[in-house]
Amino acid sequence: MYANVFTKTMLDRWKPPLIAAVSLGVLMVFGMAVYRGIDVSFWDDLPEAFRSVFGIPEGADVGGLAYGAIYSGYGMLTMAAVALAGGAVSIAGEEKNGTVGLLLDNPVSRTSMALSKAAALFAVTAMAFAVLWLAGITAPLMLDVEIGTMDVNALVLMMFVNALFYGFFAFALSGWTGKSALAAGVSAGVMVVSFIAVGLLPLIDEVAGLAEFFPWYYFSSGDPMLNGISWGDFAILAVGAVTFLVLGVVGVNRRDLRSQSVGTKMIDRLRANPMTHKAAEMLAGTARVSKIWIKTASEHQALLYVIVPVLFLMSVMIGPMYTMMDDTLKSLGDQFPETLLSLFGGGDMSTPEGFYQIEMFGLTIPISILVVTVVIGTAALAGEEKRNTMGLLLANPVRRSTIVLQKTLTMILYAVIVGLAAFLGVAAGSLLGGLGMDMGNIAAACALATLLGLAFGALALALGAATGRTQIASYGAVGAAVVMFIINGFLPLNDSTAAWAKVSPFYYYLSSDPLLTGMHWGHAAVLAGLFLILLVLAIVFFRRRDLRQTG
Amino acid sequence: MTDNVAIHTQGLTKHYGKVEALVDLDLDIVPGEIFGFLGPNGAGKTTTIRTLMDEIRPTAGTATIVGLDTHQDSVEIRKHIGYIPGDLAMYPNLTGRDTLTYFSNLRGGVDWEYVDALADRLEADLSKKIGDLSTGNRQKVGIIQAFMNKPQVYMMDEPSAGLDPLVQREFQGMMKEAVADGATIFLSSHTLSEVQRVADRVGIIRSGHLVTVEGVQQLRSKAIRRVDLYFDGAPDASLFEPIDGVREVEVRNHHVSLSFDGQMEELLRVATNSQSLTLTDINSQEADLEEIFLTYYREEV
Repeated sequence: MYANVFTKTMLDRWKPPLIAAVSLGVLMVFGMAVYRGIDVSFWDDLPEAFRSVFGIPEGADVGGLAYGAIYSGYGMLTMAAVALAGGAVSIAGEEKNGTVGLLLDNPVSRTSMALSKAAALFAVTAMAFAVLWLAGITAPLMLDVEIGTMDVNALVLMMFVNALFYGFFAFALSGWTGKSALAAGVSAGVMVVSFIAVGLLPLIDEVAGLAEFFPWYYFSSGDPMLNGISWGDFAILAVGAVTFLVLGVVGVNRRDLRSQSVGTKMIDRLRANPMTHKAAEMLAGTARVSKIWIKTASEHQALLYVIVPVLFLMSVMIGPMYTMMDDTLKSLGDQFPETLLSLFGGGDMSTPEGFYQIEMFGLTIPISILVVTVVIGTAALAGEEKRNTMGLLLANPVRRSTIVLQKTLTMILYAVIVGLAAFLGVAAGSLLGGLGMDMGNIAAACALATLLGLAFGALALALGAATGRTQIASYGAVGAAVVMFIINGFLPLNDSTAAWAKVSPFYYYLSSDPLLTGMHWGHAAVLAGLFLILLVLAIVFFRRRDLRQTG
Repeated sequence: MTDNVAIHTQGLTKHYGKVEALVDLDLDIVPGEIFGFLGPNGAGKTTTIRTLMDEIRPTAGTATIVGLDTHQDSVEIRKHIGYIPGDLAMYPNLTGRDTLTYFSNLRGGVDWEYVDALADRLEADLSKKIGDLSTGNRQKVGIIQAFMNKPQVYMMDEPSAGLDPLVQREFQGMMKEAVADGATIFLSSHTLSEVQRVADRVGIIRSGHLVTVEGVQQLRSKAIRRVDLYFDGAPDASLFEPIDGVREVEVRNHHVSLSFDGQMEELLRVATNSQSLTLTDINSQEADLEEIFLTYYREEV
């Protein structure tokens, strides 16, 4: 291990985890303050399965709601995502930047380098969880809230080991392949799928046991908040993390280091082959670069290949699943207090619309669209500046505003495609399950989700336009989305703060119950207006600013 | 007056916070001229080019290219400009030809026969992906990109970076042909031999200030020259150092080498008046740009 490699990696990587931890800590205090003001006697009536999705322990009081909702739900997803982002760039990031050769020019073995990077990943993650732990134990003291026998230490420790599991999973992929995007994508995919599977599978008796095959199970099923640490689960996650660490180190030792070479793709082979040359050339060559928006679309097509089929299949699956679900489970939904429902997107389990709202429209659909729009919004201006290609692009007779508008066109196109995939999936799911949901209403909800995603994509675009920094654009937009999502979920729980939910764009997405009532044109106009305002701001900022030069 | 000026700047100034990257730059570059822009790293060369390209905006002052304001009319100007940025970066996933197609589409088309001719001259492989090219080969695509529209004005920031000497020579030929057709070239470079070979005038910039602008010939003729003196014994450097205009005295055995821009008479007097030594041979040559450059930089450091 090398102290300076460790230190440099720490210095490069401490910000995202710490910012995430501080934000979550603040949200926790905020959430606990909101819960303190409301009657939570309904809590014990919640169905087990429903709680399992969000990891809220049985018998929790006021404090438990905040820990469960903020920490073990979104908090865990956020922290695991930050850890895996760090793991993905550990080794492959240096290869992508072309700095790994220089680093290994020094008398540093690959093993030592990889171990130093792993130690830094462990340390920044530990640091972030120390902040979460501190916020977790001081919040009830600050707010004078009784948390009874709840075990914050156990919860935070299990969260920590779970985050390490995904962080080192990405680390292993990063070390083994040298491809940071692949490492981040695959590990994030595994995380999301396993989070959803562990939430959904227990709802159906026949497949409930399958949940054990998904790693998230070993974090959430033991209810560490309530039952303390299950050392068996802890060991499984810890052994997994260590195994991945070893795999990463072995992986980077056994392969050729990657140069900045871009590799050969299927389309390149087709172009090289005389038989298919002409067709491939039309597709990949001249057509691909004919317009700025088309080139932008071509750059981001991989996003669609992943998101569209997964989102479509999940949306279809929910329909038949609802028909198979236990009736008693459905009837429990009637007992949900109105206030709590808003936290989960206002769904009511006793109707197919409500079930779809909880499982798909509450989180999965908006996140899918948001990922696409924020990635495109970030890459559009800040990304092109980061790669130092903006100067060359702007050496051509095109206006800066044209570039913003063309790239926005791609963003709109992609958001609509994902929104359409959701619509087709839900519509097919409703038909397959014989649920008889209204097609127009499904379309309305998907349209609102698309507009919501576009608003946050435009935020990423505007932040990138104003600063030219990809980190500010992406973390800013994602951070705003998380905060706004939680504001929309929490503020309605308390009468005195309920009106403030309207500051959140998420309010204009589902508060009108579009799956039941159809399109709310006023809300659509608010979201579209927000998108347009941010787009105009992006143009204004970008036209005024000096282009950045990196490197 | 702008009618006959390709690039004109007046009091052009750029500050980054408290850092004065460029101060009060006044320049006039005429059509048919190759203007060499010299300076060490961080002197403000790239800042000047980026300001002219409207990538960044001046803190004060104005600039025009072909009579158009570099900010107000930047889009119109760019129809007439070929640009090679310093630290050239392009899209790694596109081939050279894709890259050129992309830019030509933004310009309403190019003459592909001319592009292929350029590629032949530079021995550039346009079928490979940019990401798979070496620095020099990538630079060739950048050069073709700048030349393919036959622009009126070329803005080039270290265009020869990574090129091998043969390709450099070819590239210099391309520049000369372009100005022969009436184009203007603003050439920022570290390759002093290249500037010396092609430029009509040079501007030297230091810490954001333009130190001098002169014709390459004038600069060389009035500048210091290298003088080699050979003796029959080993002279002492201290003998020559006090002479007005003498710099960088190096003594190797019987050989004294120095830079000199003073009165030759005085130097010869000292060299021949020594009692213990006899001057056996003398050799003087015109200074090259590198030495002029170094002189300008050593002064007032």
